[in-house]
Amino acid sequence: MAIVVTVTSGKGGVGKTTSSAAIAAGLAQAGHRTVVIDFDVGLRNLDLVMGVERRVVFDFVSVISGEASLNQALIQDKRLERLSILAASQTKDKDALTEDGVGQVIEQLSDMGFEYIVCDSPAGIERGATMALYFADHAVIVTNPEVSSVRDSDRILGILQSKSKHAEEGGRVNEHLLITRYDPVRVDQGEMLSKEDVCDILAVKLIGVIPESKAVLKASNTGFPVILDAESDAGMAYSDAVARFLGEDRPLRFVTPKKQGLLSRILGGGD
Amino acid sequence: MMPAPQIRLTRYSVMTLEWPKDSEPLEHWLRGQREIAPSLMQEIAIILRPSVDHKSEDIRHAVDTLGRLGVGLIGLTGDSCHRATATTLGLAWLSSNTSSVESDVGPSQIPADSAREAALVIEGPVRSGVQIYAKDRDLVVIGQVSEGAEIMADGHVHVYGRLRGRVAAGVGGQTGAEIFCVMFEPELVSIGGTYCGDEQIPSNLWSARVRVRLDTNAQTLTFTSMG
Repeated sequence: MAIVVTVTSGKGGVGKTTSSAAIAAGLAQAGHRTVVIDFDVGLRNLDLVMGVERRVVFDFVSVISGEASLNQALIQDKRLERLSILAASQTKDKDALTEDGVGQVIEQLSDMGFEYIVCDSPAGIERGATMALYFADHAVIVTNPEVSSVRDSDRILGILQSKSKHAEEGGRVNEHLLITRYDPVRVDQGEMLSKEDVCDILAVKLIGVIPESKAVLKASNTGFPVILDAESDAGMAYSDAVARFLGEDRPLRFVTPKKQGLLSRILGGGD
Repeated sequence: MMPAPQIRLTRYSVMTLEWPKDSEPLEHWLRGQREIAPSLMQEIAIILRPSVDHKSEDIRHAVDTLGRLGVGLIGLTGDSCHRATATTLGLAWLSSNTSSVESDVGPSQIPADSAREAALVIEGPVRSGVQIYAKDRDLVVIGQVSEGAEIMADGHVHVYGRLRGRVAAGVGGQTGAEIFCVMFEPELVSIGGTYCGDEQIPSNLWSARVRVRLDTNAQTLTFTSMG
């Protein structure tokens, strides 16, 4: 049976889609057959971030409604042979997602030999988000180091442990915390919550801290998962996070302010 | 090996039908409703509340009438003098704490029953948006209670973890209920209906091990350190 990993946050704009793309690509890079599904029906973005927007013919909703087969709707990534994408529909709304329909798609993907199914959840706590987390075995909670994002993450954790399939059957979903857009300089100045503050409030195991990075926006705009940019700090941080998710023990990087050289301090450059 | 039995505390909303002394107008009305929506009443679970001066035969008559109308009756509630009738008729008895006669335990005490009923133990974290209510008993939370979560009990509340949400003890008016917490950072505290926000908590007790009681004379909450 494939392992279902839901990437969720409650709040919008914290980096769920970027993280879903990165985690799915990272799992595929590590040799696992992986599929990433966009649950944000009506506001699809994952196809853009993965750079496959011009290859979407059929989507997740057309598979659920029986208009297309899963094979027709799956888009094979051109960079990673073990990675496939299932895009969301832009014209339907989230009511098109049914528990039976989503369950069947996940079962079929599992039968096709996928090892990991990464579900990119929409923001909010409504249907799209609850469908994305219902079948989760693991949940990656994406949080920015600011209070409203942390509180929304806490809320989504409560929903996860009460409304998911595992919870209904008396079990638990494995929780992992991923802090994104972390700026160590601002943390030092007390303008941003530290990773310790966030872990303290949420009491969830931390699998990664992704620094605020120009590489992320550039990667999104060019349709290139940032994890494949092995030179960038964000790319390396995502690689570390995926390795930790797979059980490896790696020290945290990019969590202390970079030492600035004398020249850049005088000239005011560098970031 | 047998898997652990799945027993959970679940709260349901059930309609209660007041059965008046002169029941003829009500029966007439019910018959009318059945004609409008024949299957509706069978699909709704109903609890019957006879009045105090109903006799056992009256209740039997009421139950028979509802049975003929196809009403999905699941139990009786009301004055405890009807409890035996419920048993005779094979219906569930739901004790009601809003009944005026049954409150032989004064509202200012923890009900005697709560001493016998084990406390509700919740293993945290209790997340934002989650509400927990321990009815007629104490509540014990092991782990943290997040901001935006609400924990309530008719009895005492104990929190073995950081308390950041809202907490209420003695929700049913039990002014003797208390709150005990090992890391006290609540949004709102209430005992027996008297409440205060975090600005009224002495600053030296913030994050401390705290016991909260209600001073019934002054109607204020008193906070003391547990060292």
